[in-house]
Amino acid sequence: MKALLEALDVKKAYRIGKLLVPALRGVSFEAKEGEFLTIFGPSGSGKSTLLHLIGGLDRPDEGEIIIDGFNILEMSGDKLAELRLTKIGFVFQFFNLLPRLTALRNVELPLTIAGVPEKEAMERAKEMLTLVGLETRMNHKPTELSGGEQQRVAIARALINNPKIVLADEPTGNLDTKTGWEIVQLMKRLNEEKGQTFIVVTHDPQIAETADRIIHIKDGLIEAIKEAPRGNKP
Amino acid sequence: MRLSRILAMAWENMTQRKLRTSLTTLGVVIGITAIIGLASLGEGFRLDVKERMEQGFELNVLIVIPGSFTSGLLGGFTPQDVANIRENVTGVEIVTPIITLPQAKLNNTQTNEGLNAITVGAVNFSEIRQIFPDRFIPLTGELPSQEENDTVVLGFRTCYLNDVTPVVNVGENVTLQIDGSEMPKNGTLQVAAILNKGGTSGITNFDYWAFIPLNAVPAPINEKYNIILVKVSDPEKSEQIAKDIENTFENPYSISILVPIAFMRQVDRILNFVQLFLMAIASISLLVAGIGIMNIMTVSVMERTREIGILKAIGAKSRTVLGMFLAEAVLIGIIGGLIGMFTGYGVSYGLAYVLSSFMQPQQQQDTIFRTPETHGMNINPVFSPEWTITAFVFAIIVCIIFGLYPARKAAKLNPVEALRYE
Repeated sequence: MKALLEALDVKKAYRIGKLLVPALRGVSFEAKEGEFLTIFGPSGSGKSTLLHLIGGLDRPDEGEIIIDGFNILEMSGDKLAELRLTKIGFVFQFFNLLPRLTALRNVELPLTIAGVPEKEAMERAKEMLTLVGLETRMNHKPTELSGGEQQRVAIARALINNPKIVLADEPTGNLDTKTGWEIVQLMKRLNEEKGQTFIVVTHDPQIAETADRIIHIKDGLIEAIKEAPRGNKP
Repeated sequence: MRLSRILAMAWENMTQRKLRTSLTTLGVVIGITAIIGLASLGEGFRLDVKERMEQGFELNVLIVIPGSFTSGLLGGFTPQDVANIRENVTGVEIVTPIITLPQAKLNNTQTNEGLNAITVGAVNFSEIRQIFPDRFIPLTGELPSQEENDTVVLGFRTCYLNDVTPVVNVGENVTLQIDGSEMPKNGTLQVAAILNKGGTSGITNFDYWAFIPLNAVPAPINEKYNIILVKVSDPEKSEQIAKDIENTFENPYSISILVPIAFMRQVDRILNFVQLFLMAIASISLLVAGIGIMNIMTVSVMERTREIGILKAIGAKSRTVLGMFLAEAVLIGIIGGLIGMFTGYGVSYGLAYVLSSFMQPQQQQDTIFRTPETHGMNINPVFSPEWTITAFVFAIIVCIIFGLYPARKAAKLNPVEALRYE
């Protein structure tokens, strides 16, 4: 399998007041096509920062990030937005759905931004919501959905543009254990069915264990990258 | 992202915050109402004033009088002066002299009842009738066609003192007396016609005039004209013609010429300025509306920081976000502008009604300058499409300008920080 994503000695620091706080101090790894990766570490270890960087939401201070052949340091803001739109799907801990839009409209949103005609966008969004098991909840607003359902909507939204990589930042962090497991299972299933690369940030060792590989991160550095046998079901 | 979708989303956002949107829009509505209301009212006022002036002044008649502020009064014009103007000035249709007889008294010969003639003027009837076709319309009788020397034409007010019965009728005789003068033969004159009400013209009111033929004036004053009236073919060229008339005299500064159209233009200019001034004040309210938009949008951007972060995370470009917020500002401008047009029209009608009822003339004493048919100020708002379009475009421009700052702020948000925003 070829490397879809490469991070080379990535460094990033945040300025808090006058203090420069290093979040990443030189991180290198790669993700292959179709891989299910977890980034595991305690809070404050820099794993979310890493996820934002490899998702093109932010730029590293130093080092290189290459996504599907594109070096994000060389890309303009518009090009990065385009990259996020077409190659990357995000799933967040707090779902980050637009509260005023229905589930269907939330899933349509990336297609709307991409300029897909309204009718086609709706068809595709319906399909995707069916795929995540929400065919009966499409016209509900996020506030009328449970946490698990909201996260399913978020996953559907992340996948609607057929991205190469799905990045999930603590996707179970705001859910109870049972629902959390269901979400992980859903992601595993989609990974197997659609062959997209999943990178999941978590601080839950059990969830981390479900991956093909686990990247252990601590204090802004990679401690270890462990292989786990494929098919390690939750 | 398609423009139609951007607009649709902006519209959704607006309708989900109805109170806020309507209050923001109200600002624009008030601004446009003020501009359009004042513009159409001002235009109506201007037209009314213009109309009145056109009624009062014969714009195509220049009034030439002897003397000026610098050289003092001269004795009067000679027939040669009249001939010079007639022959040497181009663009002149009719040139006719008038001799005014001061301190003249007219009485009904039979009853000895006095007539109310303030001025007695000796004129060439056929010429003056062509100069003032609207004013020399006989109520009864006929204007003397050839130059007779024993007839008189009376202005309406000279004999109709009470609007009902005249002091003297057509065919009856009046006696003309002039203090300290033996003219004209101290004789009696037959009333040839009584004129209809004509109203004030320029500087006088012919309703209080009695007219006798020039032939009736005895020498030597029959060749000393007080006034020369000049009818021009094109009022727009009045100034040039006035200059040419001045040049027919040896000393151009020894005469004065009243050019009604110059006066008109000046008044029009002043009214124009007043109107612009009103519009400028009205525009301030639109600026205030713009600040309201900026205020509310800045708050809105802050509230929706997280939403903006989400949009950016899933691939919205900065200019898409900018477009979404600007679209809201533009929509507010369009809606506010459209509503403002209608309320502006409504307000101008309301204001016109109120102002018109305030400006009814008071019943006043019969004075020389009172026009017989004085009517109340009647302002009808005039809607110029130019002003309407200008105001509408102005509203949208103001909305864009004031919406730009918050929209740019939204567009520039860093997605990571925006997502972290609580």
